[in-house]
Amino acid sequence: MKTMRLLVVDDEENIRFLFKEELEEEGYEVDLASSGLEALSRIKESPYDLVVLDIKMPGMSGIQTLTEIKNTNKDLPVILCSAYGEFKQDFTSWVSDGYVVKSADTSELKQTIRSILGKT
Amino acid sequence: MKKPLKNMNPTDVLGKVIAISHSNLETEARINSILNIIAQDMSFDEVLVYTLDSDKLLTCRFMNSRSKLFHLLNQYRSRVGEGVVGSVAQKRMSQHYTYRDVPPRFGCLFYPDLNGFIKKLRTFSFLPLSDDSYLYGVLFIGSAGTDRLTDADKILLSIFTREIGGILRSHQLVVSSKKRISELATLSELGRVLSSNSEPRTILGNISFIITKALNAGFTTIRLGHAFIKLDSQRYTCGEIDTTTEKEIARLEEEVKRSGKTASSREFLQDQLQEAVAAFYTAPIASKDRFLGTLTVGGPRSVAGLAVEESSRYLVETIANYISSGIENSLLNMKLKDLVDELGKAQQRLVEQETFRSLGEMTASIAHEIKNPLVIIGGFTKRLAKKARLDQTENRYVEIILKEVGRLESILDEILNYVRENPMLLRGCNINDFLDELLYLFASDIAWEKIEISRDFDRDVPLVPCDDQQMKQVLINILVNAYDAMHGAGKISIRTEQKQVGSHPFVTISITDTGGGVDPKIIDNVFNPFFTTKERGTGLGLAISNKIVMNHGGHIEVNNVTGKGAQFIVYLPQKNSIIQEEIV
Ligand SMILES: Nc1ncnc2c1ncn2[C@@H]1O[C@H](COP(=O)(O)OP(=O)(O)O)[C@@H](O)[C@H]1O
Ligand SMILES: [Mg+2]
Repeated sequence: MKTMRLLVVDDEENIRFLFKEELEEEGYEVDLASSGLEALSRIKESPYDLVVLDIKMPGMSGIQTLTEIKNTNKDLPVILCSAYGEFKQDFTSWVSDGYVVKSADTSELKQTIRSILGKT
Repeated sequence: MKKPLKNMNPTDVLGKVIAISHSNLETEARINSILNIIAQDMSFDEVLVYTLDSDKLLTCRFMNSRSKLFHLLNQYRSRVGEGVVGSVAQKRMSQHYTYRDVPPRFGCLFYPDLNGFIKKLRTFSFLPLSDDSYLYGVLFIGSAGTDRLTDADKILLSIFTREIGGILRSHQLVVSSKKRISELATLSELGRVLSSNSEPRTILGNISFIITKALNAGFTTIRLGHAFIKLDSQRYTCGEIDTTTEKEIARLEEEVKRSGKTASSREFLQDQLQEAVAAFYTAPIASKDRFLGTLTVGGPRSVAGLAVEESSRYLVETIANYISSGIENSLLNMKLKDLVDELGKAQQRLVEQETFRSLGEMTASIAHEIKNPLVIIGGFTKRLAKKARLDQTENRYVEIILKEVGRLESILDEILNYVRENPMLLRGCNINDFLDELLYLFASDIAWEKIEISRDFDRDVPLVPCDDQQMKQVLINILVNAYDAMHGAGKISIRTEQKQVGSHPFVTISITDTGGGVDPKIIDNVFNPFFTTKERGTGLGLAISNKIVMNHGGHIEVNNVTGKGAQFIVYLPQKNSIIQEEIV
C-alpha cells in the first residue's frame, strides 16, 4: 500500500515538530510548511493526500490559504486545526473537511485524518 | 477663737444639720446653711466646701457666711493630688494640722499667697466628702483657736461630711439626669430627622400611629395629593373611621385643600350632622410652594375630647407642618437614592464593558497564545514517556504533568468558547432603552469625545426577546469597529425601526459611521472568524457578534453608504417561536 503524504502548516515550529513526529508514527509521510504561502508552493510542487492547516498565522491566514487551496485543488482534503473551539461547527459545515481543536492529546487529529483518508 | 465644746450640745447640732440636709432648699442654700451651723455651733472661722467637678478639678464652692478666705480661694481651682486639699481628695483621708505643721501649699496656692487671712488661723482640718465609691469634694475647716479637734468633734464632723456628701451626690444625680433628659430630647429630635430617610409610606404609617397614640385620638388619617401618584397608597390611616365620618372627612379635606387653612368639623358641618359623626380637625400639609396633602385627627366626641378642643387646632397644625418637612426630606432622599442607584448602575455597566472588552476579545487572543505552548509541552511529555521506558515513579510524574496540562487546556477551551459556554437568557427587551443605556457609557468615555452620536428611534418598537448582556457585546463590537474606522473622530447615526422580512416582523438597529466604509473586496469576509485588516485586530468581533445575533434568530447586514461609511444593521425577530415561552 502506498504511503500517504501529509502537509502540516503551522507558524509555530514546535507544533510542526510535534505533529510530524506523531503523524509519522502513524505511518504517514509528513512535510512541513510554516506559512500559507509556503504551503501553496509545496502543494504546487508535489501532490499531497491531506493538509493540516492552522488558522491563525501571520501574513496569509489559514482561512485565506484554505480558500486558495480549494480554488486550485478542489479535492485535496484540508483539516483546520486551531486553538479556538468556538467556530468548529461553522468550518465543518463550510469549506474545510474537518476541524480539530488543538490539544496535547493528538488522538482526535489522528482519528479525523484516518477517517478522511479511509473514505478516499 | 474656739469656744470650749461643752457649750455645744452635739445632739442639737446634729438635729439641725439633718433637718436642713433633708429640707427642700436648693443645694447651695442647704450646704451653706449646714456650713453656718458648723461654724457657729462648733466655733470655727472658716468652713468651706470644695467640690470635685466633672473636669476633675476641685473648686471652692460653698462657705459659711463669715468666711474671709472663700472669695480668694474660689478664684483658683486645684487638681486632685495638688496641695493639702488635693491630697485629701486623692487619698480620701482626713488631715489635721496646726499652724506649725501645716504643709506649704493649700491647693494650687502657697499659703503666703493667701494674704493675711490665713495667718490668723491656728488649726486646719481637711475632710474628704465621699461615699464608698465616689469622692464628691473636700470640707475645709479653719479655726483661729489653738485647740485641736477632739475625737467627739471628729465623729460629729464625719457625720456632717456624710450629709454634705449625700447632698452633693443627689445634686450630681439631678444635674446628670437633667442632662440626660435634654440629650434624649435631642436624640428624639434627631430620630425624627433621621427617620425621614426611610420611604414616605413607612414614615406616614408611623406618623399616623404616633399621633393617634400621643393625642389619645380615635383616628388619624393622612391623605396625599396628586404629587404622590407613584406611592402605592394615597391615604395612611390609624384607627377606625365609620363610613359617614369618612365621607365628611373627604369633604373637609377638599375644602382645606382649596383654602389652605386648618378647619374643624364643628365649623364645617351642619348641626344635625355634627351629632352623627366624629369630631375632627383637618390641617393642610403644605410646603413653601405646593400642596402635599392633609392631616386629619379626630374621634368620637366621648372618647376624643381633644379633637374638639380649640387648643387641638394648633397642635394638629404644628404636626402637619412637621409632616410636610418630613415628606419634603424624604422625597429629596428618594431622588437622591435614585441618583445614587443610577450611579451605581452606570459604574456596574462600565465594569461590565471593561470585562467584555477584555474577556471577549482580548482574553480570547491571550488564551490562544497560551494554548500553543501548552499543546507543545503536553505533546512532547507524552512522546518522552513513550520513548524513555520509565519506571513506575517516573511514570507517575508524567501522568501528573499530563493531568495538569489537560486541566489547563479545558480552562482555556472554556474561555475560547465563550459564546457557546454562556447560554442565552432571553427577556422582553425595549431596544430603545437598551441603546440609551449603552450609549450613556460611550458618552462618558473621554476617548469618544470627538465622536458625535445621533439617535433616531422609533418610539413604538415592540419588546423583542433578547439576552441583553450578549446583545451589549454585539453593539459594543459594532460601535468599536466604527470608532476604529473613523480613527476616533466622526459621526455615528443610530436608528431603530420595525421591518417586515417576508412574513416575519423584525426590530432593526442600524449603525452608520463616517469612516469610509468596508473595502468591497473584503466585505464578504468581515464576519469570518479571524478575519481582520487591523494590525492588532483579533478578527473575532464580528464573528462573535454574528453568532450571537443568529442565536437570537436574527442576522446582521452590512452595507456601504456612499460618501459616508459602513452601515451595520442588526435584525432581531419580534417573536421567537422556539423560545417564546421563556420570555418574561
Ligand atoms: N465600521 C467599519 N468600517 C470599515 N470596516 C469595518 C467596519 N467594521 C468592521 N470592518 C472590517 O471588518 C473587519 C473585522 O472586524 P472584527 O470582526 O470586529 O475584527 P477586528 O475589529 O478585530 O478587526 C475589520 O478588521 C475591518 O476590516
Ligand atoms: Mg472589531
